[in-house]
This record gives sequence, structure tokens and C-alpha cells, in this order.
Amino acid sequence: MAEEETAAMAPGKAPKKLIENGIRNDGRKPEDLRNLKITVGVLKKAAGSALIEWGKNRIMAGVYGPREVFPKHNMNPNKAIINCRYAMVPFSSLEEHGRFGPNRRAIEIGKVGKHVFENAILTEQFPKTMIDINIDVLQSDGGTRVAGIVAAALALVDAGIPMRDIPCGVSVGKVDGTLVADLDKTEDNLGQSDMPVIFSPRTWDILLLQMDGMLTKKEVMDGIDLARIATQRVHEMQVAALEAKYGAAAAGDDDSQDESAA
Amino acid sequence: MEKQLILPGALAATTPRRMDGCYVDDGKTFVSVVSLKAGDKIIPLKGHYVPRIGDYIIGIISEERFSGYEVDINAPFPSTISARDIRETFQVGDVVSAKVRMVDEVHTAQLVEPRKLFAGRLIEIESVKVPRVIGRNGSMLALIKEYTGSDVFVGKNGRIYVKNGDIALSVMALLKISSEAHTSGLTDRIKELLEVESKKSPQNHVAPRPAVQERPPAGMY
Repeated sequence: MAEEETAAMAPGKAPKKLIENGIRNDGRKPEDLRNLKITVGVLKKAAGSALIEWGKNRIMAGVYGPREVFPKHNMNPNKAIINCRYAMVPFSSLEEHGRFGPNRRAIEIGKVGKHVFENAILTEQFPKTMIDINIDVLQSDGGTRVAGIVAAALALVDAGIPMRDIPCGVSVGKVDGTLVADLDKTEDNLGQSDMPVIFSPRTWDILLLQMDGMLTKKEVMDGIDLARIATQRVHEMQVAALEAKYGAAAAGDDDSQDESAA
Repeated sequence: MEKQLILPGALAATTPRRMDGCYVDDGKTFVSVVSLKAGDKIIPLKGHYVPRIGDYIIGIISEERFSGYEVDINAPFPSTISARDIRETFQVGDVVSAKVRMVDEVHTAQLVEPRKLFAGRLIEIESVKVPRVIGRNGSMLALIKEYTGSDVFVGKNGRIYVKNGDIALSVMALLKISSEAHTSGLTDRIKELLEVESKKSPQNHVAPRPAVQERPPAGMY
């Protein structure tokens, strides 16, 4: 994602080689993910929320709505409108993001996130309303747009907003000539290419595909295959996070006490 | 029956079926919200209230117009009471029970038979948990009424109005049902709670904080 420019890296800080003997800088194999932990329902006032801890990334997602549209001229009488806001807090990384407020990059990520969720949420069930999705990066270490979308997807589920599927994904890229999954900031900055992919895991439709740098056609196809395999593991973590919050309800056997007309 | 947690995108049925919290794609039915699957039945654990014709709901008057009133019914959609249908007047903030007469294609509801609710307490729970509060053939509600002597009116939209009797105990039981809905042995635990607490004097009941800030009905005598 080239989150930060290479020039911003401290000189001499970058390792000489990013991959040695098939092992990456942080000890991972090319297809390995960083440690991933997701917690659902961390905010009291939001309709739904999730906190994702992915490597050194810490990202909070909160969802509000469906609610009355403001400003009113944005209202759509056929479906709900989705507002997706992505922001890096000023203390989220050492360089560059020292100033508060949306920048060109944040606006872009908000826009692509909006398109992901427009294709996942059953928006036609809530005409004349809007759904607000807030993604705040508290600490960043590469791959924050996919991590933010993975967290926001769970926040939407937590808010009870009807969705076709739980969007999920990972970034893949080329580092030292090798295709790798889940790039961290160093690999992102110094690698040759970076490609975030978001899938709808039920059908494996692609909801988001962006690319920085250069890849051949074959590398793109192989990268998507690699992303699909890695996404399965991310999706398992999403499911585990939701089971941690809602599993208790399923634990009990039937109480033979529900579903009667009021 | 064994219940199983299922998540959005999971298969609910291999045939197209119209169910709450589900959608149909390619001739099959899939779940769209976090739900429990018990046999063929899908029980949504989350959801928003969408008004349907014939529902009895509890609303709060939110705006007064020449043509009638706008009512907050705990749904993402607006609803109205027409001035033509009523003789009495309301003030903004009044709590009313009403029936849904008509719902249009954008889920805007027209309410009739509004009755102003005085005194008592109003609590808000998730509308998907209303069937649990009522219980099969109203058994859970009957249990609460029996032990507390309260009048409990449950709106389909998740608002519950409690009046008379031991209000604090009723609210305690209702919020317990809401927070432990769909767990096993809930009826027994509610019965136990009511049994133990109803022996104490009503002043000793520590009413739990309601999930939503209470709004006292305006224009109370």
C-alpha cells in the first residue's frame, strides 16, 4: 500500500535483504500471517464495534445506524447509503500522519471501503437511511486498509445489519522477487509491489483489488490465489471472534419457550 | 433441540424460503444476521425493528405538525399519527401505545388508536428479544405478572411499559430476560429470581439501570 514513502524511513534502519533463505525479516515464511486477534463489541455506545490487533496494527471500527440521513439531500429512497470513514490518529505511526484530519489517502480508503460494504450489506432493506462506518487506526504497521475492513465487517455484524456475507481479506505483494502474504510496513515500503484484496468468502467474489508497484499478469493471478488461501485463515479468526461474543447463546439447548405471537 | 450459532453468509436452507434475517441467492436461502439455527428454524439474535401492519408498539411523540404527530418507534424509519384519526392532543415527549395501521414501501408507518401512557416505567430492549419476553403462549409474561402484580405492556418494537405492583422487580426480571435471552433454563432462573426477590420488601429491590436512558413521560400529573 506504500503507506509511507521509502524516504521517510530512517537511514540505515532498513535491513539489506527482506527475505533470506525463504524466511522473511520477522521470521515468517512467505505465506504466513502475522499474529491476529479480533475482539467484537468493544464500544458501548456504538451499535456495533470491533478491535483488531494484527501484527503491530491496532484498529478500531465502530458502526452507527441505520439512522436518519444527514445531510438530507444524500438520501436514497431505494436503499440505505453507506458512509465509510477511515482515519489514522495522529499518534498511529512515527512519520507522516502527525496531523489530524482526512488526507487524500484516507479519503481514498474510505471510498473503497464504502464500495466493499455497499456490495455486502442488504441496503435495499433500509430505504431512506444511512449507515456510518468508522475505521480508526490507532497504531499502524502496514496493511491497515484490509485490517480496517476486516474489523468493520465484524462491527457491522455486531450491529445486526443484514449482510450477504462477512467481507474478509489480506494484502499480498512481491518482496525481493517473492510473492508474500500479509506485508508489514517494512516490506510494504521496500518491497516491489503490494496488492490488498478483499473477498466475499461465501462465493469468493472479489470486493476490492488494488495494486501499488508492478506485477506481471501471472504474478497477479498467483497473488490472488495466495490471498485466497490466507483469507481463509483470517476468516476463521473472524468467525472465532463472533463465536466468542455470541457463542454463549448457542451453548444452551432449547428452552422450548420462544416464538409466539405478541 | 440442539441450537447452533450461524453467521451471515451461512446456508440456512437449500430451497428459497422467506424468513426473518435471511436472503435468497441462486435458489438457496442464506442467513444475513447473527442467528441461531434450531432444526429448520432460524432465530435472529440481532436486528432492527421494522414496523408491520397490526403490530402494537410503544412510541414517543417526537414532533407536532398541523397534520398530526411524528412518533419515534425505535425503528430506523419515521412514523406518524394523523390528526384526522384522533380527538385528543399530545405533547412532544408523550409516551403512547399505538397500533400500526399501514406501512408503505419505505417502511413509514401510520399509527392508529394511540393511548397515552402515564406514570409507570418505560424500558427498551432489542426487538428481536420480544418473543422471548413474552414466552410461548405468554408464559414468561404471565410469570412476571403473577409474582409482581404489575401490568406489563410489551410493544413489538422492544419498548416495555410497566405499571403498578412491584415495578422494580418486574424491570429486574425483564432486563435479565433481555440479557440472557436464548440461554438454556432461563424460565427456571427467572422464576427463581422472582421467588427470592418477591419475598423481600419492594423497597429493597435495587432496580438495575435500564439499558437505555429512561425518558419520563411529559405531561404527567
